[in-house]
Amino acid sequence: MRRIFASVRDGRGFDIVLVGVPFAFLFALAGLPLIYNILMSFQEVDMFSLGSFIRPFVGIDNYVALFKQPETWPILTNTLIFVVGSIGGQFLIGFGLALFFWTNFPGASWLRGLFLVSWVMPGLVVGAIWNWILSGDFGVLNFFLRESGLITANIFWRSDPSFSLWAVVIANVWLGTSFNMILLSVGLSDIPGDLYEAADMDGANAWQRFWTITLPMMRSTIGAIIALGLIFTLQQFDLFAAITDGGPNNSSNVAQYWAWDLSFRQYDFGRGATISVIMTVFVMFAAAVYVRSTRHEVRG
Amino acid sequence: MGIRRNSIAIALALTCASLVSFQAKAEDVKLTLWSLDRDIQPAPNLIKEFNAQKNGIQIEYRQIQFDDVVSEAMRAYSTGKAPDIIAIDNPNHAMFASRKAFLDLTAMIKTSTVIKPENYFPGPLKSATWGEKYYGVPKATNTIALYYNKDLFKAAGLDPNKPPQTWDELVETARKLNDPSKNVYGIAFCAKANEEGTFQFLPWAQMGGSTYKTINGEGAVRALSVWKQLMDDKLTSPDTLTRSQWDSTATFNAGNAAMVISGPWEIDRMLTDAKFEWGTALLPVPQEGAQRSSAMGDYNWAIFSNSKHPEEAFKALEFFASKDATMYKDFGQLPARADLPVPPTGNAVKDAALATFLEQMKYAQPRGPSPEWPKISKAIQDAIQAALTGQMEPKAALDQAAAKIKSIEG
Repeated sequence: MRRIFASVRDGRGFDIVLVGVPFAFLFALAGLPLIYNILMSFQEVDMFSLGSFIRPFVGIDNYVALFKQPETWPILTNTLIFVVGSIGGQFLIGFGLALFFWTNFPGASWLRGLFLVSWVMPGLVVGAIWNWILSGDFGVLNFFLRESGLITANIFWRSDPSFSLWAVVIANVWLGTSFNMILLSVGLSDIPGDLYEAADMDGANAWQRFWTITLPMMRSTIGAIIALGLIFTLQQFDLFAAITDGGPNNSSNVAQYWAWDLSFRQYDFGRGATISVIMTVFVMFAAAVYVRSTRHEVRG
Repeated sequence: MGIRRNSIAIALALTCASLVSFQAKAEDVKLTLWSLDRDIQPAPNLIKEFNAQKNGIQIEYRQIQFDDVVSEAMRAYSTGKAPDIIAIDNPNHAMFASRKAFLDLTAMIKTSTVIKPENYFPGPLKSATWGEKYYGVPKATNTIALYYNKDLFKAAGLDPNKPPQTWDELVETARKLNDPSKNVYGIAFCAKANEEGTFQFLPWAQMGGSTYKTINGEGAVRALSVWKQLMDDKLTSPDTLTRSQWDSTATFNAGNAAMVISGPWEIDRMLTDAKFEWGTALLPVPQEGAQRSSAMGDYNWAIFSNSKHPEEAFKALEFFASKDATMYKDFGQLPARADLPVPPTGNAVKDAALATFLEQMKYAQPRGPSPEWPKISKAIQDAIQAALTGQMEPKAALDQAAAKIKSIEG
């Protein structure tokens, strides 16, 4: 008894308690819902059976029925385009801005701080504003494009099936860029300056310095950013609700919005859960890639 | 000593308990009521009046958000914590009624001196009905009709007192009014991928002789073809596909659309925002003499079947119904009552518009009623959007919707 007590106070037991508390917390708040969600995807769940655990078990019927729906593959493809497009845009512009502010011109840190405003704004507000900007007849974006001679006829960003998804991507890139920039700025400032001095002595030009020092040293930051970006884009819901509602004809519908639509508009919770499970598998796969890519990290 | 002290404590506790239970007996019956009405809307104000009567029933109000009404109510019902009374959006009524989550009020209504079925418009009443029994009482109602800009009519050489009567006339009028050089579209409506899209399309299908069960019928296909024509010929903004009714009407108020299809909730905003003369007309029909129809919106009162005080809850509903006569004056909402004239407001434009909506209300039909309405509605929205974006022919899109609806209804 005393040995156990001592171990808890200072020893293996203490370690287990330390690990156990957050683990229990995680299990209760993330693990259980996840398991519940997986369970629901194998059941027929509607409004009236929502409160009970025992519901008709339907095996993989939900999955089969889901993939029989004609809109399933287009929506999954849209999700992929949305994720890749958003992360790509956010990261490239964010990195560009981070490098720009890294040159440390007067007022750089002030300006960098101001950029964060976009990240602070609630998604629904951002969505409502972009909704106006992207509006076909009177939108500001169309006005600028027309005045600068880039287009002759208005583009109906929200309502033209070939643009609607990109309309949300544009808004999402705007929303997430500053967050990318801040994290990348932190990563940049962590690179020891002497590396560049040494490279300078060796006669490396800016391009070479970027590819051989900056990029490799930023590897873990970039990995983390892309992993976070994946999570944030797969969570992105407000912009869809505010700008296109997934329309027209599902051309801008993505998995997360569809899951909500099925669960909370059509009250088909089983099928909504099924999509969530598919998304979870996808995220776990991406997380595995992320863990692998940062495992052999080189620490400066 | 110990025992004695204990016994004193027990005695005390018993006294307290009996006191509490005695008080509870003397207390009023407590009812809970959920609705999404804000402080300027009927529910909280009617409750205040009701409670002020001190007739032994006190109602506690809880406001819920639009998106949460159904899911909150359902969760509460399945865990036994449902309110006594709820205001439910009419297309969702059947979902609850068909599962007996709502109380059958037929017997109580039969003996009621205040709530009489024959006093209500048929559409709203039908939405509260399931299997020939009443599971609720219409709370308020609305419908859609055509608003048109009289100034633009005159400018285009049209008679401002002769709004279009048929679909063909509507398209032709829209074509005449359409003026891209001045940023004016012929007409605005809403084909959004949510309930609003169904709300606006279904009346057209019904005027064509179809119902949601025969959504690929000839009339519905023609209706969707007319919509598609309006889109293809750019007589309406392509953003009709993603814009709400409220936002579509805003373009009418700004003079950027010469006509708009929307409901009476627009009147007050139009009176302040629209800087031109406007009028209202009944929804145009497929051809002269064809049957009329319109959409039907707004909420119904219902009592949950596991309420412990159904009698008292019904008394509350009777009180609410007794206040229908002043509903428009007090809250700007139309009561679902055919027997109550809406009193003149003193504003001729407003009164004319209200008269149109009351006339249109006679033809309003509920969506469904079906317990699977949200899924049926989704199938219809998909068809509308597939056809209007040109990805499917109207007939094919509606055939697909009909097949989906058939499998949903089983």
